[in-house]
Amino acid sequence: MTWHLALRNLARNRRRTFLTAMIISLSLAALVLTDGVISAMADTMVRSATRLYGGDAQIHQRDYLAARDESFTFGEVAALLDQLDQSEWVEAATPRALAFGMVSSSASNRAVQVMGIDPSREARVSKLANVVVEGDYLDAGGSETQLLIGWRLAQLLEAELGDRIVLSVHNQIDETAEQQLFRVSGIFRFNARELDENAAFILLPRAQQMLGIGQQIHELALNLRQASLAGQADLPLFAQLSNADRIAEGWPQLMPQLDGMLQMTRYSTVIVGVILFVLAALGVINGLFMSIYERVWEFGVLLAIGTRRRVLFGLILAEGLLLGVGAIVIGLVVGVLVTVLVAQIGIDYGGMEVAGVALNEVIRPQLNLSQLIILPIWVLALTLLACLYPAAHAARIVPARALHKSL
Amino acid sequence: MSTVIETVGLSRHYGSGDTLVKALDAVDLRIEAGEFTAIVGPSGSGKSTLLQLIGGLDHPSEGEVHLAGQPISSYSGRQLSDFRRDHIGFIFQAYNLIPVLSAAENCEYIMLLQGIKADERQRRVATMLQQVGLAGREDRRPSQLSGGQQQRVAVARAMVSQPDIILADEPTANLDSQTGMDLLDMMVELNQRDGMTFVFSTHDPKIMERARRLVYLRDGVVEREERRD
Ligand SMILES: Nc1ncnc2c1ncn2[C@@H]1O[C@H](COP(=O)(O)OP(=O)(O)OP(=O)(O)O)[C@@H](O)[C@H]1O
Ligand SMILES: [Mg+2]
Repeated sequence: MTWHLALRNLARNRRRTFLTAMIISLSLAALVLTDGVISAMADTMVRSATRLYGGDAQIHQRDYLAARDESFTFGEVAALLDQLDQSEWVEAATPRALAFGMVSSSASNRAVQVMGIDPSREARVSKLANVVVEGDYLDAGGSETQLLIGWRLAQLLEAELGDRIVLSVHNQIDETAEQQLFRVSGIFRFNARELDENAAFILLPRAQQMLGIGQQIHELALNLRQASLAGQADLPLFAQLSNADRIAEGWPQLMPQLDGMLQMTRYSTVIVGVILFVLAALGVINGLFMSIYERVWEFGVLLAIGTRRRVLFGLILAEGLLLGVGAIVIGLVVGVLVTVLVAQIGIDYGGMEVAGVALNEVIRPQLNLSQLIILPIWVLALTLLACLYPAAHAARIVPARALHKSL
Repeated sequence: MSTVIETVGLSRHYGSGDTLVKALDAVDLRIEAGEFTAIVGPSGSGKSTLLQLIGGLDHPSEGEVHLAGQPISSYSGRQLSDFRRDHIGFIFQAYNLIPVLSAAENCEYIMLLQGIKADERQRRVATMLQQVGLAGREDRRPSQLSGGQQQRVAVARAMVSQPDIILADEPTANLDSQTGMDLLDMMVELNQRDGMTFVFSTHDPKIMERARRLVYLRDGVVEREERRD
């Protein structure tokens, strides 16, 4: 009978019921979309930070990152690469020699980050091979003077394909500036300012020779088969790859600012959620109170003929529950439709950089199970919570006062 | 005859000091089973207050209401609620019914509270609505019934729970005089045939004609009583 009454009471003022339900529905829909956009954005940022160039994890000499000192290299690279190639966790790994250097064209010169890479391995870890827009990617068997630079750097140097560029780095053995002549063999475009403007790629052996570091390297970047594992600081693989000399770390350790940023975005979903829910709860409370005030007389009659207060309390909760469930169904449908629609159109941030990471993909909001299960449960719980107040109010009606007009 | 309800020094005061209103002042009243009693008196004389106290809707400032010898002031809120459900039938001046329930459902509701089985509920509803002349209108919502018909459903609802007494506060006040008389005749009939005890209030002289016992209230005090047989 309670459900029966509750349902009919909701049908009584259809417009108000509809509007109250819409507040809940739209809040839920907005939340589904927000959550979808934010998790897509977070994924894009992580992907951009890892799969674009950095890798899911990196190995360095223990003090290298803190000091950025080019003398902090590590060896046994061939053995390490063998180990990585055999690991079931690792998808691909690539060695890099890194150095601060200077590039000079006939027109200008710039301080850059010189990266010595192994072209075929690099192509399996980063997107470098895919983003060459002019000329060619590096070829391990080709000329020693191959130089791959970003389009911005090319502009700054007023350099074109085939132009001569002098590259100088600091040689670790004789402590002198080592200068060599290169030719621009390719131009890349990551759409990430840092790389496009400041990176110059050459062949790894050439870099090692110029730096005088022998077979040693500064960085070994790797991608995991399951990218999300990189977030686990205590991943056994990292411990296996580390030793007294070197340390393996996932991207959250390598890029704490990005990690912090992502935590913040998670909070922002919560904040948006809280705001929407508070508004929705106020809407529900308001709607129920209006309907209760209209029915004070009726509740007086119900109490007078022997309805227990608890039953009245339950009736209002039942009305709230039905309203909430109905609203959630509508909200989910609307939320999913809007999310799918936005995903189809896509949100293009045009390579905008957040926390040093480029949003260089079109963002397509994601739908996942947690949105469709956890969010509705929260909405329902909060709707019921919002109903407690009006329900308690209804249960406290004094029949003698409610019926004063007649009795 | 057995006493259904007895009030002893029943008083209800509102406010205090200068603004003290003695809505009811030391009323001793005994209602016997099967009586058909009218509480009459001008507006503000305390009729509604008296019926509310008898029906356990309000607490007396002083005095006591006894139901079958039991004082009801000792009841908890929930006991009082169950007391009303099982022993009292209420009929108000108007808007007695739950608008979203049909005539039959309105009657059934109180029996649901009492935990009466479905077939018994159905049987009682059918008989009662027939007796109050609403056969064939069981499925109508209150808004689809006339004021007189609504009051008849209210009488039927009060009857189906088989209370000890039915309290009706100016049940005819919102009806035209003919409809009011018809309603009262029906109540008289139920009183005579089923022996249901009725107490109703009115200030309509024609309506009070129908009562066999008249209790005159003035300023919260029983002024006099009259019996006709
Ligand atoms: N809640 C209240 N607060 C203060 N005074 C009240 C309250 N309820 C009733 N009274 C007063 O108590 C007195 C009796 O009121 P009651 O409603 O019982 O009269 P009544 O005989 O039913 O009148 P009517 O014929 O107009 O319905 C009146 O003076 C009224 O003003
Ligand atoms: Mg009155």
